[in-house]
Amino acid sequence: MSTQTIAAIGTALSNSGISIIRISGEQSLHIIQKIFVSKAKLEPNKIIYGKIVDDEKVLDHVLVSYFKAPHSYTGEDICEINCHGGNEITKEILELVLVSGARLAEAGEFSKRAFLNGKMDLSQAEAVIHLINAKTRTESRVALNQLEGNISKKIRELREDLIELLAHIEVSVDYPEYDYEEVENSYVIHLIDEKVNKINSILSTYDQGRIIQNGINVAILGMPNVGKSSLLNKLANYDKAIVTDIPGTTRDIIEERVSIGDVVLNIADTAGIRDTEDVIERIGVEKSLQKMEEVDLIIYMINVEEGIQKEDLELLSKIKNKGIKLIVVLNKMDKMEKSIFYTILEELKANEFESVIEMSIQNELGIEELKNEIQKLFYQSDFDYEHELIITNTRHKDLLKKAIESLTIAKNELLQGQPIDIVGIYLKNAGNFLGEIIGANVSQDVMDKIFEKFCVGK
Amino acid sequence: MEYSLGNYDVIVIGAGHAGCEAGLASARLGKKTAVFVINLDTLANMPCNPSIGGTSKGHLVREIDALGGEMAKVADKTFLQSKMLNMSKGPAVHSLRVQSDRRMYHIEMKRTLENQENLDVYQAEIVKILVEDGKVIGVKTKIGATVYGKCIVVATGTYLKGKIIIGEVSYESGPDGVFPANDLSQSLLDIGVELRRFKTGTPARINVNTMDLKKMEEQFGDEKIVPFSFENELNEEIKHKKQISCYLTYTNQETHKIIMDNLDRSPIYSGKIHGIGPRYCPSIEDKVVRFHDKERHQLFIEPLGEKTNEMYIQGMSSSLPEEVQIKMYRTIPGLENAKLMRPAYAIEYDCIDSTNLKLSLEYKGIEGLFFAGQVNGSSGYEEAAAQGIMAGINASRKIDHLEPFVLDRSEAYIGVLIDDLVTKGTNEPYRMMTSRSEYRLTLRQDNADIRLTEKGHEIGLISEERYQRFLEKKHSIEKEIERLRNTVIKPTQEVNEVLTKLGSSPLSTGVKLSELLKRSELTYLNLEKIDKKRTSLPDSVIEEAETELKYEGYIKLQLEQIHEFKKLENRKLSPDIDFEQIKGLSLEARQKLNKQKPLSVGQASRISGVSPADISVLLIYLSQNNM
Repeated sequence: MSTQTIAAIGTALSNSGISIIRISGEQSLHIIQKIFVSKAKLEPNKIIYGKIVDDEKVLDHVLVSYFKAPHSYTGEDICEINCHGGNEITKEILELVLVSGARLAEAGEFSKRAFLNGKMDLSQAEAVIHLINAKTRTESRVALNQLEGNISKKIRELREDLIELLAHIEVSVDYPEYDYEEVENSYVIHLIDEKVNKINSILSTYDQGRIIQNGINVAILGMPNVGKSSLLNKLANYDKAIVTDIPGTTRDIIEERVSIGDVVLNIADTAGIRDTEDVIERIGVEKSLQKMEEVDLIIYMINVEEGIQKEDLELLSKIKNKGIKLIVVLNKMDKMEKSIFYTILEELKANEFESVIEMSIQNELGIEELKNEIQKLFYQSDFDYEHELIITNTRHKDLLKKAIESLTIAKNELLQGQPIDIVGIYLKNAGNFLGEIIGANVSQDVMDKIFEKFCVGK
Repeated sequence: MEYSLGNYDVIVIGAGHAGCEAGLASARLGKKTAVFVINLDTLANMPCNPSIGGTSKGHLVREIDALGGEMAKVADKTFLQSKMLNMSKGPAVHSLRVQSDRRMYHIEMKRTLENQENLDVYQAEIVKILVEDGKVIGVKTKIGATVYGKCIVVATGTYLKGKIIIGEVSYESGPDGVFPANDLSQSLLDIGVELRRFKTGTPARINVNTMDLKKMEEQFGDEKIVPFSFENELNEEIKHKKQISCYLTYTNQETHKIIMDNLDRSPIYSGKIHGIGPRYCPSIEDKVVRFHDKERHQLFIEPLGEKTNEMYIQGMSSSLPEEVQIKMYRTIPGLENAKLMRPAYAIEYDCIDSTNLKLSLEYKGIEGLFFAGQVNGSSGYEEAAAQGIMAGINASRKIDHLEPFVLDRSEAYIGVLIDDLVTKGTNEPYRMMTSRSEYRLTLRQDNADIRLTEKGHEIGLISEERYQRFLEKKHSIEKEIERLRNTVIKPTQEVNEVLTKLGSSPLSTGVKLSELLKRSELTYLNLEKIDKKRTSLPDSVIEEAETELKYEGYIKLQLEQIHEFKKLENRKLSPDIDFEQIKGLSLEARQKLNKQKPLSVGQASRISGVSPADISVLLIYLSQNNM
């Protein structure tokens, strides 16, 4: 199976000191030899010092390591370039690698190759991807907790009682004449209730888990030119969106991952919310509104110079009705006029918008306050991230939900007087859904349990 | 001197429950068939319990019948008592079981084979299977005759190197004191068939004159008898047959003490038995040791026949020495003076690893060699018969160059049975259980004919006449369902009085009969007063219509699951795939997949050692390679 050589920045694009660019595939060594000059010879499992050169121009002094297939993370030839951080240099070197014959790796592609080449199993791959993607300490603690198999343990415990109950039901079906006590309905209902409660409490960690895993989805909304892009840049310390003074310059949603304390923000800078005839601009506005369906937090910006508009109030109440967490930022305080400012405050108070931050991006005022407010809204400091099981995987969440659904039907059927073998079908489904999380098969487990627990046969 | 008994299309080795069905199926499909048995007087013998059917086994018998097999018909002719088990539970697990007259069953089945066109039955031990260029060409008998055939069905039950063990004594023997087949094992090994060793056991037979039945609980048959065969649905004679009782008694602490005191003389615990025994059929020693806090174990006393005094002691199989057995049985209430006519024994035998078979039951790598029954590692007469008819059909189809006839897990218990054996394999004698079926709401014993008669007819084992009758039945079921769906019951005072009496809530608006039937307290029968337009219909039609409507919601859900199941079943795997080359697969999965060569992703997913992660790798591989 011939595959393309892929490359990507292995560390997060942020203010870390050293960045790693990883190249994996048959062409790895060939590509490195084109762009890397060193006195030492590149050998497997050794790190050597040298320079990355583009034609004659030296881009950076770097360390390069080489892992020969199949003894590497992905099972393919891998070269890693450790360069001197800085987003610009790292990006420049990556571009050089891409020009030299690699293609940009898709998200998770290294782990996917590792998985496909038999270097790790699926659940390991899932956990490793989490760990790599972990941007904060909390996140890595949760990922490690999952790697150590806490999910399997919890699910196994949940399933165990269910399987025992099923074995009890099945034995009464397959050995009807044997003198085993029939399972009592009240016991089945009690057990179902207990399991549903337990699964629900695991499920309730999902939102927290998703926030730890993926970060808080934040949308910055507001009229054109209130300073949305500037705020994004301030938070990201990085010029990403195009900042101009012409209203409507930002046409697409630009996302940025920003880490503040223990919380990661995925900030979407959106096109200005304003009726416009411009088609491209309109798409941007529509995307902004659509984005509102998925966000955890909206930072709504108002330009105190211009005051609060009718559209502002309409949008703000829309957001409030959706129940999304909201912080209102009053920007350009440096240019504030008192009368307008107080009108705004009164309007906000009348409509019960409580979280209000006064800000001047120009003068670096209010940024810290905003960060603190976000932390306050999302981070539960009393939560035991190391020991509580937190689910972060959508697949797990869906399966847990399905298990609850089946258990609920089982209970209803039982209450409606349906025979126990029919009820058993739904209990079995629930067991199967739980089993899918950890890769186990109910039927075989029930069978084994029957023979272990019951004395049957001629 | 070389001589031949002739040329046949299909040769069947063994005439137990598998061999008989295989021989009959093949002969009925027009193939010249020879059936060989070591002793003709043991044809279709029941060396263990004298009964046919039971949970999930009853399903198998009805499926065999729907495909045109014989077991149900002979069971209907020779039963002593009939019982539908699990009547307090849902329709999916209702199971028919009869006590059979063991001798009469043998006689009826033997006569059926004797009268079958295209079929010759021989008393002879087969000692050799002849293979040429990877293809079977015939067999050799112990006295030297060669018989030529295009396909062979091996149905040797527990006879292959059979060894009986009773306490410290053991000797070479088949069941019930018949000669074992000692030479065939070597011949199988010589042609490349892998063999393994399983073990099973049976309890003692006791003379009823030495029992005190008054000390036991009498167990009666059903008042309303349901025949096994769909052909007998309207047979009044069967429904009014006089029945014989069974009896229930129990072991006690004294019994258990004798067993514990003599455990060192039990061959299982002394290490004398090497074969692997079934967990669901433990000997009384096993039960007492493994479940030592259970105060008593049930024993069912079953008659062996109308014209014999022998009684079968279900629940007390053993391999303890005979003298210990006598003491042990005599601790049981009602058996204080019991005389053992045949002692309990354990039997060890050679069988094959069923994962070496294709789903058609043909051995991989040896053309025309089929296996059926206990030699495949299963246990039970019904499981054997089910494999027998399938092997017989497929041997015949092979000769006709037709695609093998395979039932999948969503179509029949037969499908579950064979897929379990062939795909998952078994480490102990395999018994059918309803819990093994994923789709048991749709695989009911009552609708086996609806599920399979069409197929039986297509194959050629269901006569035109029977098929027409089946179509009529199917039509009247559909008509009745339609009527129930379209009949609206108005909320009259009379109606609500009836409903209240039945413990059901009264109506406020008109409701369809089909909806009323979904209430668990209401049945077709007790709605008679409300449903004034009904006409008189056969029980089987009513049962079917009622079940289909009453459980409509569940059945629909099951059909959706079946739809999902079929997706992976239909994702075919080419036999040319070298799984060794698929890097992401675990080592174990690569080896297992290469050995078993599953035909679909669904089948691959059921092989033990192939994990869900392996299946995702496989699916990725298939889509990457546009397969």
